[in-house]
Amino acid sequence: MSTTIAPLPSGSGRRGPARALRAFATGISAVSVKELRGRMRGRRAFVIVTIYLLLLSAFAFGIYAYLRQQATIEAESMFRDGVVNGTAELALSADIGHAIFSGLLLVLTLMVLVLAPAFTTGAISLEREKQTIDLLVTTPLSTLGMVIGKLVSALSYVFLLILASVPLMAIVFVFGGVGPEDLLRAYAVLFATAFGMGAMGLFISALTRRTQTATVITLIVVLAITLGSAAVHEFWTVLSTETAKAQAGFIPVKRTDRAPVAILWLNPFVGDMDLICTTAPGGYDRDTCDYVASVTGTPFFSTPRSDCSDGRPCEQPAFGDAGGFAKRGFAVEPALAAEFPVGRGDEPVADDVAPQQQALPSFGFPRDTFWPQSAIAFVVVGIVLTLLSAQLVAPTRRLRLRRGTVPDGAAWGTPASPPTSDPPTVPGGPPRASADAPEPTDEVTP
Amino acid sequence: MTPVLQTRGLTRRYGRTTAVAGVDLDVAPGEIFGLVGPNGAGKTTTLRMLATLLVPTAGDARIMGHSVRREPDEVRRLIGYMPDTFGVYDDMRVWEYLDFFARCHGIPVSRRRRLVGDLLELVDLAHKRDDYVEALSRGMQQRLCLAHALVHEPPLLLLDEPASGLDPRARVELRELLRELRSMGKTIVISSHILPELEELCTAVAIIDHGRLLASGRVDEIQGRFRRGTVARASVLGDAEALAAAARWFAEQPEATGVEILPDGRLELALRGDDDAAAALLARAVGAGLRVAAFAPAASDLEELFLQITEAAPPDAREEAVA
Repeated sequence: MSTTIAPLPSGSGRRGPARALRAFATGISAVSVKELRGRMRGRRAFVIVTIYLLLLSAFAFGIYAYLRQQATIEAESMFRDGVVNGTAELALSADIGHAIFSGLLLVLTLMVLVLAPAFTTGAISLEREKQTIDLLVTTPLSTLGMVIGKLVSALSYVFLLILASVPLMAIVFVFGGVGPEDLLRAYAVLFATAFGMGAMGLFISALTRRTQTATVITLIVVLAITLGSAAVHEFWTVLSTETAKAQAGFIPVKRTDRAPVAILWLNPFVGDMDLICTTAPGGYDRDTCDYVASVTGTPFFSTPRSDCSDGRPCEQPAFGDAGGFAKRGFAVEPALAAEFPVGRGDEPVADDVAPQQQALPSFGFPRDTFWPQSAIAFVVVGIVLTLLSAQLVAPTRRLRLRRGTVPDGAAWGTPASPPTSDPPTVPGGPPRASADAPEPTDEVTP
Repeated sequence: MTPVLQTRGLTRRYGRTTAVAGVDLDVAPGEIFGLVGPNGAGKTTTLRMLATLLVPTAGDARIMGHSVRREPDEVRRLIGYMPDTFGVYDDMRVWEYLDFFARCHGIPVSRRRRLVGDLLELVDLAHKRDDYVEALSRGMQQRLCLAHALVHEPPLLLLDEPASGLDPRARVELRELLRELRSMGKTIVISSHILPELEELCTAVAIIDHGRLLASGRVDEIQGRFRRGTVARASVLGDAEALAAAARWFAEQPEATGVEILPDGRLELALRGDDDAAAALLARAVGAGLRVAAFAPAASDLEELFLQITEAAPPDAREEAVA
């Protein structure tokens, strides 16, 4: 047992940033290794991955089978009518690719949205409930390292699930229409969402005492940033449109005001729509493009594809029905747009878009209008919430006003005077703890 | 010798209630220091402040010169803390549990393996190495928690009610373990609500109630200070008449303040003065022809003393005190 006798723990002589860094790194590694040991024990984790991939494959195959069947019915009717259209099959292939990409992206987003916070909502509140947190906090680990370790272990499993879907996603290349850079964009959105939502769960876990509460709050937050944000955004738009009409009075100016796009930044489905819209065959998908355009105020009718300039070959403009382009009244006529830069002054991103309006008209939806904002928002929110969680876990380093002061006159080094010298003879007369106690007795009685 | 642990005016309030009110403690190296008080006296709060889990409202504590307020990181390296209620992680084996805390303390992998083995040996859990932590008995978990507090070889151990919930055998084993740790040169602060439990283990005790320090020092010192006299029990050979005569004889002596015949035929004597006076009384009793077969201080003396000390505090303050 001689190993347990040592005068001082190793490393106590080092000070300053090097040691703080070490405590930070140790926190991440120790906590994440411990968590992963529990999570990855046995075959459970790998069985789950397998089942998950089987379900995802079945879903992708379902999309393929459905579209294939539709195309066959269509082709049969064409042959019956004596119409031979060589482009039908070509368009179908790209349609299938796009549909599988869209479907998988939405399913993966849903998975990330549910699983990332689910893995972290118990991270800290469970330690509180099981009363293990005191043991952890009394180690010299940095609380930030500890919190990041929790996040790393929870997210590594979510990241594993996301990455496991890559080979399946790559099937879209067979059908065409969706390029590798689109997949990169999609995974950037997924990873950013996973990080942001994981940190959200962690923060809520650090905030609450009980896991049950944390779970409920997390569920509410997830609903709020998806359904809630879209509803609020829509409501806002409707309200402000009315106001704009009222202000215009009798002057027949068509103008539609927009709600701030920031409301939707943490809604990963809007980011998905942006990606789905721009990968659609022909560069335009009515449902998603219209929504993204109305939300971001991107006048796609008259704007060139932003990636035409960076070496990517511009696709031939697809001539859809013109009614679809100008449907919702968000696309201000170029001349009017110069006069009434509606709802654009409050928005830095839209400012960047504004000069492009004067550029050559092109067809196809501009890329990267919404999802980068969304991804950056998730990363920023994730970082901020992680830092806040670390503050909430730390018992003594919380940002607080110092109320108590250290008495300078305290006699350190000399033995304390014996607190009492008289035996407690009278039951009513308490032995005064010590004559030099700083607390007057009236402080004790409420 | 410079104290390992010092507190000055250590105070913690929760809202309007004061859990710990200005406690001054000094613990010298190598001591087993008992923190005694009834439930809700402020023992746990005091230990949590020393373990840097709570910030003192006022006052400060220094562990080997490091302030718990200003240098919590330094303090954490110097203490091994065992909370009164602690949980264990699910899905974790015994060796993984210790390995995890060793890793938290930055102990390199080369030393960890041996350290975990040594610690399991020390707390007698080597045969449970690969068992799951939650499957261990309460006493084993208690010992494992103690082992976790030792991974970084701290010079000071803070143990909050380590014997609570243990059966008598486990208590004896724990006591042996603490003695062994003391012989390794560790200083131990241990809290309990039962003074006699600490009597033979501790080199010094502090009695606190309602957050206030009522007495501190060696157990016999406190006894001497608080006791107006001793209570002794004597067995006198002979029939009931002889017993009554002995009682009368004792009652006439100047040292005796009260004599009572117990149902089991022994005499309980309340005596004034210290042990010397008691010895002199015994000598005279034998000299007077009383057939005294046994003469010893009452066993429950310490418990009564504890009640005497803590009950003297005002009852209205008791309700406000928080554990």
